[in-house]
Amino acid sequence: MTASSPQPRDLGAISRRAALGALAAGAAGFALFGPRGTQAIPPGRIVLDYWEKWTRHEGDAMERIVDAFNKSQSRIWVRYIVVSDIGQKSLVSIAGGNPPDIIGLYAFNVTPYAESGAILPLDDRAAAVGMSLEQYTPGIRRVMTHRGKWWATVNTAGSVVLYYNRTAFRDAGLDPDRPPRTIAELDAMHAKLFRTDSGGGLQRVGFLHREPGWWSWLWANHFGGRIFDEASNRATVDSAENLRAMDWMQGYAKDLGVQRLKIFAESFGNYFTPENPFLTGKVAMIIQGPWIANLILAFKPDLDYGVAPFPTERGQPPDMPVGLIDTDVLVIPRGAKNPEAAMEFIAFTQRQDMTEQLATAHCKPSPLAKVSEEFLAKHPNRGIRVHYDIFRSAGAFVPPRTRVWQQFKDEYDTQVQRMWRLEQPPQVALAELQTRVQSLIDQSADQQRRRYGPKGTA
Amino acid sequence: MTALPAAHVPPRGRAERRARTRQLIAGLAWCSPWLIGSSLFVFAPMVMSLYFSFTDYPLLEPPLWSGSSNYQQLFHDPTFLRVVKNTALYAALSIPLYTIFALVLAAAMAGRARFTSFYRAAVFVPTLVPLIASAMVWMWLFNGEYGLINKVLALVGIRGPAWVVDESWVPVSMVLMSLWSVGQGVVIYIAAMQDVPRQLYEAATIDGMNAPQRFLHVTLPMISPAILFNVISLTIAAVQVFAVPYVIFRRPDGQNPAGHYYSMYLYENAFIYGKMGYASAMAWLQLLVVMALTGVLLLVGRKLVHYSRL
Repeated sequence: MTASSPQPRDLGAISRRAALGALAAGAAGFALFGPRGTQAIPPGRIVLDYWEKWTRHEGDAMERIVDAFNKSQSRIWVRYIVVSDIGQKSLVSIAGGNPPDIIGLYAFNVTPYAESGAILPLDDRAAAVGMSLEQYTPGIRRVMTHRGKWWATVNTAGSVVLYYNRTAFRDAGLDPDRPPRTIAELDAMHAKLFRTDSGGGLQRVGFLHREPGWWSWLWANHFGGRIFDEASNRATVDSAENLRAMDWMQGYAKDLGVQRLKIFAESFGNYFTPENPFLTGKVAMIIQGPWIANLILAFKPDLDYGVAPFPTERGQPPDMPVGLIDTDVLVIPRGAKNPEAAMEFIAFTQRQDMTEQLATAHCKPSPLAKVSEEFLAKHPNRGIRVHYDIFRSAGAFVPPRTRVWQQFKDEYDTQVQRMWRLEQPPQVALAELQTRVQSLIDQSADQQRRRYGPKGTA
Repeated sequence: MTALPAAHVPPRGRAERRARTRQLIAGLAWCSPWLIGSSLFVFAPMVMSLYFSFTDYPLLEPPLWSGSSNYQQLFHDPTFLRVVKNTALYAALSIPLYTIFALVLAAAMAGRARFTSFYRAAVFVPTLVPLIASAMVWMWLFNGEYGLINKVLALVGIRGPAWVVDESWVPVSMVLMSLWSVGQGVVIYIAAMQDVPRQLYEAATIDGMNAPQRFLHVTLPMISPAILFNVISLTIAAVQVFAVPYVIFRRPDGQNPAGHYYSMYLYENAFIYGKMGYASAMAWLQLLVVMALTGVLLLVGRKLVHYSRL
């Protein structure tokens, strides 16, 4: 072929026509069949995007609150957007400078986000819409604030307590109205509830530390200790209290047999299924949050269950129960287009009637200090007062407030698995863990000092 | 030869040059979506990630130059060393097994026996299943209590292990799962086997070779370029293994240490721990390792691979 050949130009012309045609067809297809908004937004409203992690009944309940807000006024319109892996996506959206207006995160996100200036402080904005920290129970306030500033509000909250199967208690000759108060009592009841099949396989256990295994770090607090000291920014995972806690945990693995436990644990279904081991009766006592009541209502409404503060080594003081407070939080990210309007929406969600409506649907207690007697009386979770008492208790604790908590927890979980499988004695495992997590904390602190100077925060 | 001044270029040459320039512009215009897209979304991020790898970059705050500290920290990070070990073990076990398995299946299906097309389709179809869906299926197949594999083993009196829980069985289960996509390799090997000239087999038969000898001395050398291609692809995939172990082994009650792989830890650092600088250093190290392994394989290939000139 030579340069004078007309072929390339002809081919180009044909291709251009074809390409333009294809593009036009694509555009027409997109216009005709492309995505559509699910809701018509009334004209003239400020539109807020609200990212939340909830789906199913939990998401439906929050959407009802959003709908109520949209109907309650004519200035703002909130779009409820369900986002999976919300932590990761929020991180990227804020870093990219294109975040939504409101994000529903977890309590443990507050510290790293606040320290890096990724969320806006709420003190003045909250005051402007008539909100104050005193609206909330003391335990909840600790989640919302960091280093003297208010960073988040709590839309739903739970405390982590003991749920026990009253039918199994009766079957084992135990008093269903007398749950364990000390770790020693829990062990004794576990021994009575324990059942094997004819082949020696586990049929029922009283208690298992690894079911569900979501809070493998909290045992130290039930032995009078903690795993992180915020004031000195030091991990305390190798403390005497945690060593006793891990010895106690490993004792179960030794007694029940590692191999037998592995097989037994594989017979458990996923959490939100009828095969949940608490529902099937395979585990008679579990550590759980209030949301499990929804699971019971959905799959086994006739389950006779009891609720009590999770035992401690020395016994639960009745007026100051010990327990973890774990919450969902609402934050306004840095770069939000309408922070004042976002605050107005948040204030609406924090009204007593709204928090009670949402908490009822989620089977959780209200985060507010003031709750109606009707809310408590009609609540679908029969243990709601137990959860609520922890919110008001000086014995309540929150997840360790350090920027490196996510990695700290992952390292902790890995080491707990090793101890559970009897691969390492607690003394060795905790010493290794202490070195590892303290080095993470120190690295982070060093980076923050280099970035911000001695104050170490944005 | 010296170049002629522009004024002396014959008219025909100028027209030719203009035509070529037009062609070049047209070609670039047609490629521009790819060029612009790749520059914006591949090359620029690569250059940026190289810079980030020398910084502390918590994602929510601007990057801060830290020199080579991320690279130095890697070799003192016990989790990093563990994921390197797990990934290397996975690659060392899965690549040879996959290759052997694919070759055997391809040899069995390369002929023109009855139902061959059906068998080929049956072997290839699993590769079309999305990785996450196949991971969910494998989780149940490998379940120690209810899993199909242990149920079958129980029929012959064997008590199967907790495949995806027991640390010593996790590498085995991962390698077995990697065979799920063996169909891709089989298709390539069948195509390569069908390209082997018949006269070579006839000559080998006349020389007295039996079937295994023909496979060893005729088929394997003749399809060795395809084997090299597949082994390089498998190596890259093994070093980057992510989706299946992420679904199976990263659970709310903690990560199974034996099921923790390089790309998983890289992702965790970037998007869960917010350590983008550290993750970028991991990514660049991974790229260098992949390039080095590919280079070694190509060097080895020069000696072992037979490029037919028939």
